[in-house]
Amino acid sequence: MNQFHRIGVVGLGTMGSGIAQVLAASGRDVVAVEADQTRAEAGIAAVGAFLDGGVARGKVSDDEKRATLARITTSTSLSDLADVDLVIESVTENPEVKREVLAAVAAVVGDETPIVTNTSALSVTALAASLPNPARVAGLHFFNPAPVMRTVEVVRALQTDQDLVARLVTLVDSLDGKQPIVVKDRPGFLINALLLPYLNDVIQEYDDGLATAEDIDLALKLGLGYKSGPLEMLDMIGLDVHLHATENAYAATSDDRYAPPPLLRQMVDAGHLGTKNGKGFRTGEKNTR
Amino acid sequence: MRNESKTVAVLGAGTMGSGIAIVMARAGHRTILFDVNENNLKRGIETVHGFFDKSVQLGKLDATAGQTAKDALVGSTDLADLAPCDVVVEAVFEDLQVKKDLFGRLDEIVSKTTLFHTNTSTLSVTGIASGSRLPERVVGTHYCNPAPLMKLVEVADGRHTAGWAHKATEEFLGSLGKVSVVTKDSPGFIVNRFLIPWENSCIRALEAGVATKEDIDAAVLGAVGHPMGPFRLLDIVGLDIHQQVATRLYEQLRDPRFFPPPMVERMVAAGDLGRKTGRGFYEYDNTRLFGS
Repeated sequence: MNQFHRIGVVGLGTMGSGIAQVLAASGRDVVAVEADQTRAEAGIAAVGAFLDGGVARGKVSDDEKRATLARITTSTSLSDLADVDLVIESVTENPEVKREVLAAVAAVVGDETPIVTNTSALSVTALAASLPNPARVAGLHFFNPAPVMRTVEVVRALQTDQDLVARLVTLVDSLDGKQPIVVKDRPGFLINALLLPYLNDVIQEYDDGLATAEDIDLALKLGLGYKSGPLEMLDMIGLDVHLHATENAYAATSDDRYAPPPLLRQMVDAGHLGTKNGKGFRTGEKNTR
Repeated sequence: MRNESKTVAVLGAGTMGSGIAIVMARAGHRTILFDVNENNLKRGIETVHGFFDKSVQLGKLDATAGQTAKDALVGSTDLADLAPCDVVVEAVFEDLQVKKDLFGRLDEIVSKTTLFHTNTSTLSVTGIASGSRLPERVVGTHYCNPAPLMKLVEVADGRHTAGWAHKATEEFLGSLGKVSVVTKDSPGFIVNRFLIPWENSCIRALEAGVATKEDIDAAVLGAVGHPMGPFRLLDIVGLDIHQQVATRLYEQLRDPRFFPPPMVERMVAAGDLGRKTGRGFYEYDNTRLFGS
């Protein structure tokens, strides 16, 4: 069997719900597992809200919206993953939690079903090593928001079977508007390895008074045609999420470029997390220091 | 703004100088394009005229407006002709001494209230301003290439720039339809300060075999919201230009992120400078940089 028809998604947070939506929109059945019913419902509500936005803009029909939602079944038990062709794990970016969830998934699906992780910061190779038959493990890194961003990194761990990489590429190719990029399992893979140092650099220069946050963003948008400036991008990503990602990359590489700038840590300490709580570089109070 | 028509000189009739001259003439300012070299000047004026003819052809300007813009421009190879200027914008070769000398000579020709703008991309505004006996009138105004199309101008004060000069500069840029951002007089200002390390890290990823150039370009397009991948952009900028800018920034900052990776030196040595030579990271059938 070369195609994945029935796919399990574990974790229905921002990333998981977006991934479930993209898979369901491609006509696949999705079994979405969350820890409890409240979270499962919140995840489905997020998919519904996203599709409503598509309907409002005329990009999605009502029928497509209903059909997409109908293809997603939720569950609070991993045992419902017994008959899926592929599991995509998208739980919180914490190695202990991920390892525990992946082990529980493996116990349900057996040794042959491919298991992929949507980690952005952890070593896929290390996660694979903790599971039986690590050759069936890979990374599948979607970017936020998953239904919008075209790039999907297919991460080849040291153990990953080449055939699985090819099947994942085929899967991503079959998703609407998605483009697979096969990358090695290096810290940050391809995109974050480039993006994290750039964002850290911007934060440090902002702290050093190069220009206002507004002017830094405006300069890069107008000068280079970027869709969003780096500081608005950080607000959208979430400063806590960025801090976590860059701390992980720093721990894995000891490369200074990934070292979190002091202002980033202070903003997270002060509870300034970006768009999600209305306080960030470009969000909320003018002076975020 | 058009009723406040000024007399403006643009020094240096290269790509940036002619582009800036287009911006000035289009905004209704009497524009003198200056170059020491007769041939460069001729080519620069042809570029400006060609731009306005094309704009009329494309229906972006009516024929009268096109002619008015062309009439607003005169060329000169004699600095003395710049005496009536309210604003001079230097866009000559990126050499500190050349720029300083030019401002020093202009001191003797223009009025004391004439604004001196430098379009340097990598030198210090303060250093260039030190060539004038009135450094308070010198402001860095860094246009983006192609200047007629790109709205952004980075404005940087030198150590001695006066408040009136800064304010007048921002108002003047507004009259040109530009959007100004204010930055410190530090190497690379904002755009190059972040672009150069970004491009270098993409080149290093390619050197390290992390992915192919096509994949890196595609991944950046699809994940980061840039209009163009790093290698397509480098091919347009020119590998030689990237090397020069990166090297100058590295010399000032001594931060290895700015140093051009070895692949750049190899490509420049091979003459693979990008679109303008038909080959850079990619190959091209024609060498036109824009609108092709």
